[in-house]
Amino acid sequence: MTSVTKKKLMTTLKAYLFLAPFLALFILMVIYPIGLGAKLSLYGQRGARMWYVGFDNYFRIFQDKKFWEAFKIPAFLLFVQVPLMLLLATIVSLMFETRKRSGSVFRFIYYLPYCIPGIVAGIVWSYIFSDSMSPLKPLLQFFGYQGEKLLTRPNVPLILLIIILWEFTGYTAFVIYSSLISIPREYSEAAQLDGAGFWQIAFKIKIPLLKDVLITLFIFNAIGAIQVFNEPWMLGGLVVLPNNYTPAMYIYSSAFSQGRFTYAAAMGMILACVTFVFSLWVLRTAAKQLLGSKS
Amino acid sequence: MSKRVMVGIGVTAILVALAVYFIFPFYWLVIGITKDVGQLFQKSLLPGVPSHLRENIQRVFAYENGVFFKWLGNSFLYATVGSVTGVTVAALAGFAFRRYDFFLKKPLFILILGFSMVPGYATTLPLFMMFRDLRLIDTRWAVLLPAFVNVFGVYMMVAYFNQITDDMFDAAEIDGANDFTIFLRIAFPNIVPGFITLVLLSFVGSWNNFFLPLVVLNSRAKMPLILGITTITDPQGFPVYNLTLTASFFTILPLLIMFTALQRYFRPQLYVR
Repeated sequence: MTSVTKKKLMTTLKAYLFLAPFLALFILMVIYPIGLGAKLSLYGQRGARMWYVGFDNYFRIFQDKKFWEAFKIPAFLLFVQVPLMLLLATIVSLMFETRKRSGSVFRFIYYLPYCIPGIVAGIVWSYIFSDSMSPLKPLLQFFGYQGEKLLTRPNVPLILLIIILWEFTGYTAFVIYSSLISIPREYSEAAQLDGAGFWQIAFKIKIPLLKDVLITLFIFNAIGAIQVFNEPWMLGGLVVLPNNYTPAMYIYSSAFSQGRFTYAAAMGMILACVTFVFSLWVLRTAAKQLLGSKS
Repeated sequence: MSKRVMVGIGVTAILVALAVYFIFPFYWLVIGITKDVGQLFQKSLLPGVPSHLRENIQRVFAYENGVFFKWLGNSFLYATVGSVTGVTVAALAGFAFRRYDFFLKKPLFILILGFSMVPGYATTLPLFMMFRDLRLIDTRWAVLLPAFVNVFGVYMMVAYFNQITDDMFDAAEIDGANDFTIFLRIAFPNIVPGFITLVLLSFVGSWNNFFLPLVVLNSRAKMPLILGITTITDPQGFPVYNLTLTASFFTILPLLIMFTALQRYFRPQLYVR
């Protein structure tokens, strides 16, 4: 054995010693459960009895109307809430930038909802919109709102939109703002000398430089939209929602209300694959950024 | 000049309007906990008169022989032990990726990152089956063990360690320091702010994690606050709005205090759970 390979072997050994606790936990708590989920998804089940059925569950899921209906809310969030939030957050971050010092109170207030758990946000907002407690109802009636109730099933998507925008817009603006202030000032100063206005500088210079951040934020929020659970779960306490209102709710109720574990496991696998496809761009960028330039 | 002033006023107006939207639920929650159910039903935007704040707090604390304090203790246990262990383990792993050029380095990193994106709803169900076979359902381990894996922490740790130059490591090595000493004396002290940030973010994440405890816990005595408060009912099983609100307030109070006191550590790190 040459001394070079011996040295490499030693380094590998040392590296894996540092990695050991993480890898052990990772295999036990992530890889193994996913493998188990993949295996279970290939089994039929009645009560405690299980038998191998191949891809039967998947075929049944593809024909299960309730499963596909569950994607209405994620689709609504993906195509309405996420773009709206990114637009709003970009505008807010540009406004933050015009007042770096005096704006710190606003930045604090805007960031605050991000610390609040989705469950508590769900409780408070569902009460705010509830029939019996809503302080908004007298207000809206004053402005001519005719409807009987605010918290009705047709209104739930809109209420979800209000809750999720409330939770994440400030945080998103903060992330964009952090990248904005790292753009060298020479860029906008040069453009200003050439006679560009505020909006021109924003759209032609700053926003193109924010492309990566915006794409990353979009992907994370898209993944969040597919997985949404806590907020509709809490709203479900005050307005009747079907058990397949979101994919996560359908998986949960299939497994724990109906006891169809293997069917739920197969749905979980499909959801995991969809999420993984969404995240490929982020993963590639992350791996390149951290390891690409080195070694 | 006047156009500039107008724009300034416009910007302030928009910022204030949004601030009202972000503050409103906090305001409503704070006035809400001063009211009994009757006062809540009056839909007023003012604090309850007479104030029922003290009574609400007493009733939450006395609820089911003080189960609230068990929830509070559990939340602190899960969030503290989970976040500190998870971030420490992640720091060791991150150091390996930063410092060494080893067999299967890149594929391993991509594998770890790749699995980080798998949604909790896909792993929680098989975790439940696994814990059931291991007889860990309805134990505190079932909530703690998954929290020890902080994949995002590994990713961030590599980024933090990347800021330390190779020269510093090499100098220590020439001085005869062994690898663990280098980690403890050179690497770790340089990333303490990042470590704190990750612990705080992970603490908040564990504190707010609802789905895992919902699936793996049955007995109320082991629940964290976030799950416990959703189980508050009167003896007939009907919701008690003023108690749920008051308990919600105490659920977020530690987070608000932490966030206000340690604001400079709460830099956004594109954190997702």
